[in-house]
Amino acid sequence: MTILALDGLVKRFGGLTATNQFSADVTEGESLGLIGPNGAGKTTIFSLIMGEHRLNEGAIRLKGEAIQDLPTHARIQRGVARTYQVPRPFAEMTVAENIRVGLTPDSIMAMIFGSSNAAEELALAEAVGFEAADLDRLPNELSMGDLRKLELARTLATGAKVVLLDEVFAGLTVGEIAQISELINEKRRSGMTFVIVSHDLRSLEPLIDRAVAMTAGSVIAEGAYADVIADKQVRDSYLGA
Amino acid sequence: MTSNLNLRHAIYWALFAGLLFAMPYLVSKGDLRTMIFALYVGIFAMSWDFLSGRTGYISFGHPFLIGIGAYATAILSYRFDVPVMFSIPLAVIITMVASTMFILPALRIKGSYFALVTLAFMELMYQLVQVIRPDLTGGTRGISGVETITRGAVNGFYLAAFLAFCVALFLWLLTRTRLGAAQSAIGMDEEALKGSGINATKLKLFTFVVSAAVAGLGGAFYVHYLGSIAPRAIFDINFVFTIIVAALLGGAGTITGPLFGAFFLTFLLEYLRPWLPGAERYLIYGGVALVLYMYQPKGMYAIAAKLRAGVMK
Repeated sequence: MTILALDGLVKRFGGLTATNQFSADVTEGESLGLIGPNGAGKTTIFSLIMGEHRLNEGAIRLKGEAIQDLPTHARIQRGVARTYQVPRPFAEMTVAENIRVGLTPDSIMAMIFGSSNAAEELALAEAVGFEAADLDRLPNELSMGDLRKLELARTLATGAKVVLLDEVFAGLTVGEIAQISELINEKRRSGMTFVIVSHDLRSLEPLIDRAVAMTAGSVIAEGAYADVIADKQVRDSYLGA
Repeated sequence: MTSNLNLRHAIYWALFAGLLFAMPYLVSKGDLRTMIFALYVGIFAMSWDFLSGRTGYISFGHPFLIGIGAYATAILSYRFDVPVMFSIPLAVIITMVASTMFILPALRIKGSYFALVTLAFMELMYQLVQVIRPDLTGGTRGISGVETITRGAVNGFYLAAFLAFCVALFLWLLTRTRLGAAQSAIGMDEEALKGSGINATKLKLFTFVVSAAVAGLGGAFYVHYLGSIAPRAIFDINFVFTIIVAALLGGAGTITGPLFGAFFLTFLLEYLRPWLPGAERYLIYGGVALVLYMYQPKGMYAIAAKLRAGVMK
């Protein structure tokens, strides 16, 4: 069953068409790799799904519901969330407090009269590989790998069913890549749907069921990873031929 | 709402209440009058801090909010004989509603643009009260003979102290909840907050309305303390800076810090008066503020927190 449908997305920035009739379907529980050279428009697709950029044309449906006119927070409440290429932690908040923001309900009354759930914060932190002692650490004390884990924890805290991971391996050590990969695989086994953007194709391959390659804002190939990567147009786009 | 609260906090608040209660027995009537002004500045600074110190949306037009509250109760009680016990709550409601109508479009802009828009609101209000229905507002001269609700420095102090204490406790409790964390998140990275599923516009609007209510409440009580209101005294850029500097000196985002910042600033200006009776006093406080920011940008609150941590070691 299709959980996320992207239909003919067009996004123009002035004279530049960053996304040009981009279409793709994501099946529930699937992990889809979105690949392409720098400037292909992968991050723009994420921004369009999340409502951070306004669509010029096209439709985005989540579980059959058109969400392209909803604000970002409403889309997240419907079950889609993203991480960023450059992690964006709340700089003066601890690991626990960052996760707490992700768990915070979008209701003023609930914010005031509800109380935070330390056990839930710890469970989310541990789910991404933190230990209890890490909860009081500030973002400036964390490695890039830890920052990515923190962002992932905050994203999972929103209750998202579809998670968009943008350059999730950038700046990570081999050990950290293995740790994040294991976490993603664990979440895949639990039925979570992923769309993953990464330039690190070797690390991406074992994490995805299918790949969509794009260049200049359009899909140029899609299917099994091995087939997509062997596609001449995909190879040419990466090599600049 | 009770998260992060402990016995230590309760003791601090009880000591603060006790100190305020004892103050008339400890200081002269003259100092008490200075304290009354400091307490009202503190209320305005806490109102500013709840909005600007927490969310990073800097308001340069807070007297706009104070003025709505002050004028509303002055007009209602003086022109229409509405009892003060009704005119003050009505003034607070009017401040909340009127300011919301003005601010709704401004909540989508950020940074210096937001600051400029709020400054423009203050200037607009200054011009409006002088030319629109001067029969109600008193025009350029304002309104004199507004009913006062206290007699003498001691009563005036207790009323201002009670108000300041309630405002401080109320705002402080709010910031101890998840609402406070979300407000701080706006100041750190609003986009990331939206990316956490929170409607930042709704949160900013709520924060603004609470800030407006406190400013309107303070403005309303202040006019009934003074017994008069004049546009030049309220919609004054020096008044804006006094509020902002008090909040920053005390510690932006801390709520209680600005109250102490207001005391420090008010007494500094007052004690400088015999030597520097003119506006050059503001140079001194500018210098003090500069030195403090250079060595402790987070204000007196952070200095006190460091001292406490040193003592606890």
